Amino acid sequence: MMVPVRCFTCGTVVGEHWEEFDERANEGDEDPQEVLDELGVDRYCCRRMLVSHTDLVDVVSPYQ
Amino acid sequence: MTEEYDVEFVERTDREARFLVRGVTPAFANGIRRAMLADVPTMAIDTVRFVENSSVMFDEQLALRLGLVPLTTPPVGEFVEDDTVTLSIDVEGPATAYSGDLVSSDDLVQPADDNVPIIDLKDDQRLEAEADTVLERGKGHAKHQGAVAAGYRHLQRVEVVDDVPEFEDEQSQIVRGVIEDDGELIPTSEFDHDLSNRYPGKEIELEDVPNAFVFHVETDGSFPVEEIVTRAADTIEARATELEEAVQL
Repeated sequence: MMVPVRCFTCGTVVGEHWEEFDERANEGDEDPQEVLDELGVDRYCCRRMLVSHTDLVDVVSPYQ
Repeated sequence: MTEEYDVEFVERTDREARFLVRGVTPAFANGIRRAMLADVPTMAIDTVRFVENSSVMFDEQLALRLGLVPLTTPPVGEFVEDDTVTLSIDVEGPATAYSGDLVSSDDLVQPADDNVPIIDLKDDQRLEAEADTVLERGKGHAKHQGAVAAGYRHLQRVEVVDDVPEFEDEQSQIVRGVIEDDGELIPTSEFDHDLSNRYPGKEIELEDVPNAFVFHVETDGSFPVEEIVTRAADTIEARATELEEAVQL
């Protein structure tokens, strides 16, 4: 659904980086590794939160 | 009973710091770490009253998301546990509701980050809610945990023992944290965490400096790093005092 607000493991707020990450690495063609480094998401627990996320709001909304 | 500890900052920004503390026992260092995680009260949304929620997520899911948004925590003494502050949010689609859309009734309690997406709203969807915050400890719920990834390592002292023998290949020696070299503190990130970059062709010995710990603390934005460390120390003191009083005959 929506991107988790915090990292499940360490509790860092990761939600705020989602839109930029999505735009640059998923929609755009930048290297996800570099984007995450620039966003300051250092630990692999926080990085997987963004890398593995899929936004489902658009998929679910027609069945509201 | 006041002991002096020698504290030295290695790196310091608003939300992240690395500092060296000398003269503490491992038990006390761990006590500080645990107190930072579990015993420093922070503000977080706890009860949400939904006026309208026609978004794709259920009320309780949104309440959890709102709860996880870090809020700035007022100075000690301004609030006690059980005091509440009310925040309200009203966003109409098509738009995304962000944490910055939360309007607080008290200037001291504001969302620490303004751009955390709460929910994506489509046409004709609307989110209107009122949320009450509470001052609680990390023990009770992770949303009250002010320190993030708080930890410590021994300070390590580097000693150059010898040159690497002539016909031996140089091996990388990975170390993470902060090293001490002639009284100078060097974060290992300066030489890519590899001692063979800093001392090429040398044989190195590393040893832990007794009772010297390098803490690494990040906060979620509730308060600056110094604040969370001093508050953690205060909670230890408060509990120690409580224990002392409880065992008094």
